Amino acid sequence: MCDTCGCPSPSDHDHHTHAPTKTVDVHTSLLAANDALAKLNREHFEAMGAVAINLISSPGSGKTTLLEHTIEQLKGSIRIGVIEGDIETERDADRIRAKGVPVIQLTTGGACHLDAAMTHKGLHLLEKQPGGDAIDLLFIENVGNLVCPATFDLGEHKRVVLVSVPEGPDKPAKYPKAFTSSNVFLITKTDLLPYFDFPVPEAKAEALHLNPKLTVMDFSSKTGAGFEVWLQYLRDLVKEAKARQA
Amino acid sequence: MHEISLVQAMLQQLSDLAAANRATKVIKITMKIGQQSGVVADSFRFGFEVLSANDDLVRGAELAIISSPATFRCTQCDHTVTAMDRPDCCPKCQETFLIPEGGDELILQQVEME
Repeated sequence: MCDTCGCPSPSDHDHHTHAPTKTVDVHTSLLAANDALAKLNREHFEAMGAVAINLISSPGSGKTTLLEHTIEQLKGSIRIGVIEGDIETERDADRIRAKGVPVIQLTTGGACHLDAAMTHKGLHLLEKQPGGDAIDLLFIENVGNLVCPATFDLGEHKRVVLVSVPEGPDKPAKYPKAFTSSNVFLITKTDLLPYFDFPVPEAKAEALHLNPKLTVMDFSSKTGAGFEVWLQYLRDLVKEAKARQA
Repeated sequence: MHEISLVQAMLQQLSDLAAANRATKVIKITMKIGQQSGVVADSFRFGFEVLSANDDLVRGAELAIISSPATFRCTQCDHTVTAMDRPDCCPKCQETFLIPEGGDELILQQVEME
């Protein structure tokens, strides 16, 4: 009988002892791979001479409408390109293509956000479009979602979060990460203010409470009221980027 | 549910780590998730349960999650408060504009394997 395990076979057999365990201190971010690729994207945008903007909002806040009107107003003076992110369909890209600027649609097939790898792929596809390799201002329209996109750096220079008047003024308090990680907060569809209870000063104060560094603007893409402030912000961004390059 | 993507990133790191250490089984994983990270610990755990069930290396491993606080800096008096939840105002001067610093980490801290 085996002295170690008490089984009837002789003692020179395997006792199925576990291999020694090993504990490793790692300390790496789960976002390390994404952030490394985001850095490459940023360098790629800069090599192109482009400023990149990541647009984040819930579905229906007016991201695509904002882009349509922005392109109409700036097309003559600034070369614009767009990467569209959606779970399904080419519809947003079709709307942008109709405005005559290079655009690529990324369909995530279910993923609730864009990440740096998808953006990288989109950028290479965009560069193959006519005019896609000569862009001053690149918009990346994220998947409509106020939660998940906030965690992923795409390599953008500025992150812009939109809330439309019908959504209500409480979005900054309810979805803080989108606001603490953004540079600009746009309140859109202000032509609807007479029909909704949306106190603009309170919404602005709430967002600034979360992130005092936010630049806040409110306008209606439809009527054009207040839109010039947004356009000037973009012109200044492009001008600063060109000055840095020179 | 971006937590699923993040669990996938963690499984990839574990697979690389196991290969580097010639391990075949992960026993315990320690993650540090910051208060400002935008990640819900329960959703992360759920994603881990779903994805690890199909992963021979990680199936049955224990997942420990440590929540880490953020520091909030007062824009008026520069006083800082470290807390799990955002304070309504600065405890020193009552200013309500506070800038969050840190607390957004999503760190794979320690792995026990064999």
